[in-house]
Formats: sequence, structure tokens, C-alpha cells
Amino acid sequence: MSRLVESFRRGGVFVWLSGTTLAFCLAMILGLVGYLAAKGMGYFWPRPLVQVQTATGPVLGEITGQEPARGEETAKIQFRVGNRDIFGQDFRWIPTAGLAAPTFPKDAILIERLEYGPFIGRIVSLSHEGRVVATGPAAFSEALNRLPEAGRLRRQIHSIEKGRVGDLNQRIERVRLSRRKLEAGGDTAGLQALDAKAADLQTAYDQLQASLEQSRAQARAWTLGLQTADGQTKDCPLGSVVRVVPANAMTPFGKLGVYLSRLWEFVADDPRESNTEGGIFPAIFGTVMMVLVMSVLVVPLGVITALYLREYARQGWLVRAVRVAVNNLAGVPSIVFGVFGLGFFVYGVGGGIDSLFFSETLPTPTYGTGGILWASLTLALLTVPVVVVATEEALGAVARSQREASLAMGATKWQTLWNVVLPSATPGILTGLILAVARGAGEVAPLMLTGVVKLAPSMPMDGSFPFLHLDRKFMHLGFHIYDVGFQSPNSEAAKPMVFMTAFLLLLVVVILNLFALNLRRKLRARLGGSTF
Amino acid sequence: MRIRILAQTVLAALVGMSASAQTIKVDPKVSTYKQVSGISGNLNSIGSDTLNNLMAYWVEGFNKKYPNVKIQVEGKGSTTAPPALIESTSQLGPMSREMKSEESDKFEKKFGYKPTKVAVAIDTLAVFVNKSNPIKSLSMQQVDAIFSKGRKGGYANDIKTWGDLGLTGEFASRTISIYGRNSASGTYGYFKEHALFKGDYKDSVKEQPGSSSVVQSVGSDRFAIGYSGIGYATSEVRAVPISDQNKNGGAAFETTYENALSGKYPISRYLYIYINKDPKKPIDPLTREFLKFALSREGQEIVVKDGFLPLTAKMEAEQVAILN
Repeated sequence: MSRLVESFRRGGVFVWLSGTTLAFCLAMILGLVGYLAAKGMGYFWPRPLVQVQTATGPVLGEITGQEPARGEETAKIQFRVGNRDIFGQDFRWIPTAGLAAPTFPKDAILIERLEYGPFIGRIVSLSHEGRVVATGPAAFSEALNRLPEAGRLRRQIHSIEKGRVGDLNQRIERVRLSRRKLEAGGDTAGLQALDAKAADLQTAYDQLQASLEQSRAQARAWTLGLQTADGQTKDCPLGSVVRVVPANAMTPFGKLGVYLSRLWEFVADDPRESNTEGGIFPAIFGTVMMVLVMSVLVVPLGVITALYLREYARQGWLVRAVRVAVNNLAGVPSIVFGVFGLGFFVYGVGGGIDSLFFSETLPTPTYGTGGILWASLTLALLTVPVVVVATEEALGAVARSQREASLAMGATKWQTLWNVVLPSATPGILTGLILAVARGAGEVAPLMLTGVVKLAPSMPMDGSFPFLHLDRKFMHLGFHIYDVGFQSPNSEAAKPMVFMTAFLLLLVVVILNLFALNLRRKLRARLGGSTF
Repeated sequence: MRIRILAQTVLAALVGMSASAQTIKVDPKVSTYKQVSGISGNLNSIGSDTLNNLMAYWVEGFNKKYPNVKIQVEGKGSTTAPPALIESTSQLGPMSREMKSEESDKFEKKFGYKPTKVAVAIDTLAVFVNKSNPIKSLSMQQVDAIFSKGRKGGYANDIKTWGDLGLTGEFASRTISIYGRNSASGTYGYFKEHALFKGDYKDSVKEQPGSSSVVQSVGSDRFAIGYSGIGYATSEVRAVPISDQNKNGGAAFETTYENALSGKYPISRYLYIYINKDPKKPIDPLTREFLKFALSREGQEIVVKDGFLPLTAKMEAEQVAILN
């Protein structure tokens, strides 16, 4: 008994308590990350293709779920049968009763396509412009040989579409807009010059389009003849085959290759099929970019506010009230910020900018609609209390002796602040930024009102002038999770994507934070062990 | 023993049949899309979440024809379409219901003419139950009694449990767990008007943020019921055949294309895209081409791909006529 009292007095119990709390937090975080990773990461591993014989015919697919018998119901297995274009649905439940032992046919194959999801069945033939070149196993190996070439062609078409066509289009659009400006002024000579320019651009575009059409025809020339397990046939151009996975005939290394290439596709490619397939690169890019723009906006705003509050304002009831208000701002629901952003930034400021500078495009808005700038500004407002509080603390923690030394040497108050106080407070300011980034990256609700979209055709930064397009709408990982999780038409197929996207969002936040942490560490080292 | 095996085989056959539902073919008389030159620019689409995926699919297809066109798609509910059209923040307003008169009045007040409505697809609203639910069919009046407070459909008593619908075994005593959409949704409005006979939803309806989450909830809850567009069906749920006491002698009909077209399946609707078209001026070429693409054979095949129902050649011609 007395030992317990002694332990209380010395605080040993509290050491244990804090240790346990820490362990609990760590377990929660690791559990969450582990759960997301386990649910998501396994999805890319090629699973065996199982064939069973049912009363209505053979069924071939990956086994994705099981349900035990309950009451009057028999046990069931869920198959991912693919072939959405033929069967109507990707998944099917089959009662296990009366099923013969499942087989794993070596020639069964899963083909990932650009449209309609995966095909699961067998390759029957390969033809070139309607003429059969190879059949059976020969067709399979020949198709494998030709696949890289088809993929290269597809990427080439894609890059022309994105790059040169996009560029040309922007120039055509600019000519059209300056035409509208001139039309209002009635400058006929200028109009004629512009018309000539527009005609030139249009011919260039038509030529490009013709060559694209040729490449597309080339991509369509090779077709695979496919057959499902129950004997239905389907032709698929080799150009729209993403990947051929003969899952039952693969070595573990082959599977690893497929796994890595799927993982890479997920991280680096554009989404397909209404976001249920392909990658999420635009969403990653949009998230990072929005957070960066937000950081650029929130740091000056927060730091200047804190500087005034701490250093210049006369401390009194008014400043205390302002401080309380700033702290309370952190508790305002984020959707309220979203509504404010929509009303003030998008309709107010954006509408004003449009009528002043972009009147030629009206009624189509340029800044008067949601965009990455408005979303970042809204989030900057949302996270500004964090930065203000952290900066104030950091300013307060700068040793009085340092300030006095600076002032004693004849520096003005501003010089002292700028050269002595602020540099020592930088690590503290960065702490605020880290917190702000973590909060901002995970926020979705205000973005839904201020510029996030399900599918953005182009990214907010690209190769065409002026490179940074802050008026564009963007995709965001958080919204992507919401969209794929709650709104996708093919929710069964998309579920693992949700887990993977959530996992990646966490990863992005961690990487951004590591970057800021590293910066803070370096700064601290340079300042020689500041207090904050 | 033998009877049990027989029963299982029959069950297996039934499951197999319902799973391999026939794929719908687009009317071959629907015209194919003809590409025109000089199309470029930006379009914004803000509106229905039922149409959200369909819009995304159409944009993907349209971009293959015109890689130089940029279309942004936002879908947070049909209710968001009219304000966006009025504020001119969007050019396309996909809606899963018709505009209410106050919405189109507001539009008219600003522009001096009514918004133009183009029907782009057909949707049957399905009443989904979990795949293990044995219920054979429901009448409109029963659906009303399950979902609504007031039973304006005229069903004699409130339906609370599956037993009230005549199910036996473990289902008999279980409360029906009801899922639906949130009130920004056009599906919410349409279902209220047609399946609830303009009555009010029960407070126990669990409102979901998207059609897909209704289906997912029903798929994971064995005693659930919910409604959403047939396009969101998965293998975890089953669409219940619906009958109407006052029509066709009370026979129940599946959610097939034929039944939707003939009107035998009682809750089917058009999906629309609203546009801002000044009757005195020709329609903006980009908007026109996008809609023409959506109405073309290619566009209607995409409708089938997303699980909705395509327009017939006659309907398509009517809609194209609006554009010209």
C-alpha cells in the first residue's frame, strides 16, 4: 500500500499512464493505416481464376466472397465474373450446393480493357484487319508480343491529344476571344487578320485530327477474338487492352510484375470508366497542389496577424476578444467556410474579376465558378487560426534577453522583429503550418462547394501557357473517396479503390508533413537549439 | 434428400437466370454520331448525382471525338442544377426529375425565357432488397405503406416488419430497415411524388448521400429495403418486381426495358439535361454537339453501359429536333 502511495508521489503511475495513452494512440493509427493497406493493397495481386459447373452452365472468375448457410438459405460464393458488356454485372453469387470441385484452367485469362472492365474467359484468335492470323495458344503468345507496341501507340495517341491538340485548342480559343473583343470595337482589319489566323489554326487542327484518326485506325487493326466460359464470343481491339493476365499459369514473379504494374498504373494514370478504374494521378496532383497554394496563402496571413496581435496591439480586452474570436474560428464547421467561400470568393470576387477582365467569355465564367484558387483560399481561412495560435506561442517563446540585446544595440522595433524575433520563431511557425497542412489536406466539405469535381479534364498546372491555371477545377483525393465510395455505379468493383485512395491520401499528408518536419529540423539546427 | 437437391438445383437455376439478365440493345434506328469541325472550348455540368457517372462516361466518349474540348462534371443532386444554370456557372444542368415551376420561373425571371429540357435516357427506379430476401413482389400501395407516414396510396395498415408483407421464418419478426436518398436528390423527389403519392417519408428512413450508398447499405443489411436507379444494382441486391393494384389486374412486373417502355413497370422516368437556350439565337455549338453525342447511338450505348435504359429511335428524333 505504501509503495503505491510512494509511486503516486513520485509520479511513477503517471509515467505508466502517459505511456499507455501513447501506446493506445499508436495502436489506433497503426490499426487504421494497416486496415486501409490490407484492404487496398491486396486488390492488385492477381487472384486465381476458378471455374465451376452450375446448373445453367460453367462460371469462370475470381472468388471474391463467401457466405455461410443461414436458415433456409444455402451457402453461397461470390464470383467476380467480369464481362460487364456481356453479363450486365461484374459480380455473381452462386449457391455452393451441388457444385463439383472447382478447376483452375491454365488457359483462362483476365484481360483488363479500357472499357467495360475486365474480360474473363479465353483467347480464341488474333486477327489483323479482319483476317485471322493465329488461333488458340499461338494467338495468345502472338498477342503478348504485339501488346507493348499497341500500348505504345495508345500512349502516343494520348500524348498528342493532351499535348499538341490541347495547345492548338488553347490558341484557337484565344483567337476566338480576341475576336469577340474586337467585334465589340468594330475593328474590321483586325477582324480579318484574326479570321485568317483562325483558319490557319483550324487547318492545322484538322491535319492533326486526320493523322490521329489514322493512328486510331492502326490501333484498331489488330483484334483479339475472345470467348467467355459459357461460350459467348466477343471481339476486342488490341489497342484497348491494358493488360493480359493468365493468372493460373503465372509464376509468383510474373504475378509480382503484374502487381507492380497495376500499382504504378493506380498512382500514375488517369482515371477511366467514371473513376472506377485506372489511376488517380489527377487527384493526387490536385490535392498536393491545393495544399501548396493554401500554404503559400495561409502563412503570410497567419504570421502577420499574429505579429500584430502579439507585438504591436495594446494588450487589453479588445485584443483578448480578438484572440478568443480567432481561436473560436477553428471550431466553426468547415461547411460554413465552404458556403462563405462560394458566396464571397466564387460569386463575389470571382464574378467581379470576370466582369472586369474576362467579359469577352461571359456568360461562361472564368473565375466566377469554383476553382483551385478559391478552394485554396477557403482552406487558408479555415486553417488560419492554427497558424495564428502557433505563431503567437512561438513569438512569446523568443527569449526576452535576445530582444533586449537587439534593442540595446540601437535596432528599431521592426528591425528587431525582422532580424531577431521572426527567425527564432520560424520553427514554431512551421509547426503551425504542419498542423494546417494536415487539417487542410483531409478537408472535403468546403471543397465540394468551391471547385472540386468528379472528373477534371485538365490539371491546374500543365505545359501550356501560363502553366499555372488557378481558375481550373481540380480533383481531390478526399472527394475521390467520397465519390467512388458513395456514388459509383459499380460499387462492388470500386470498393478496393476506396481503401487504396484513402491509404494514398494518408501517405500524401505524411509526405508533406515529413517535408515540413525536415525543414524545421534544419532550421532548428541552424538556430542552435531554439526553445520552440 | 432428393427433394432438397432438386429444390437446390431449381434455386440455382433461378439465381443463374436472374443474374444473367439480358443485355439491352440500343435501337439500331438511332442515328450514329457525325463529327463536325470547329468544335472547341469549355463546358461545365452541375446537377444530378444519378446522372453523374453517365455524364462522366459521356465526357470520356465525347473527348475521344474532340480531344480539344474540356468538360467538367459536378454532381451533388438535381437541386443544384437550376441555381447553377441561373448563375451561368454551368451550361449543362443534368436533372433526374423535371424542374419545379418555381425553379423554372426563377430562370425565366433572369433570362426572359424558359430553360430547355432535353430527355437523354430512361431510368427505372427500382425497389431493392437484400439478395437473400425471399419476397416475390410488392405493390405500389405496399411500397407506400413501407416508406411513408400517411399511406396516401390507400393501403389499409402500416407495414413495419417483413412479417407484415407475409414473409415467414426469420424474416417474419424483423423490422424493415429503410434506406433512401437525401432531399437534394431528384430521386428523393420523384419517389416521393410517384411511389409515395406525394406523401411524406417516415422519420425512420435512413437518408444516404448517394444512390450507390443506398444500394451498398441494402447489400450489407439483410433486412433492408431501399430505392435508387436500376443502374446502381449490384450482385448483393435484388430489384423487386412491382405491381399496381389499379393497373394490369395487379400483376407484378420486372424492371426490364420492355416493361419500362410500355409503362407496365410503374416507376420509370426520363433523365434530363437542362440547358440555357435563347429561342432567338442558335444554340452554342459545343453544347449542341455534346447533347447530340449523348443522344446518338454511341451515347445511348454508354447509357446501357452505365445500367440505364436507352431512348427509342422515335424519342431520340424528338429530342434532336429540340436542338435544331
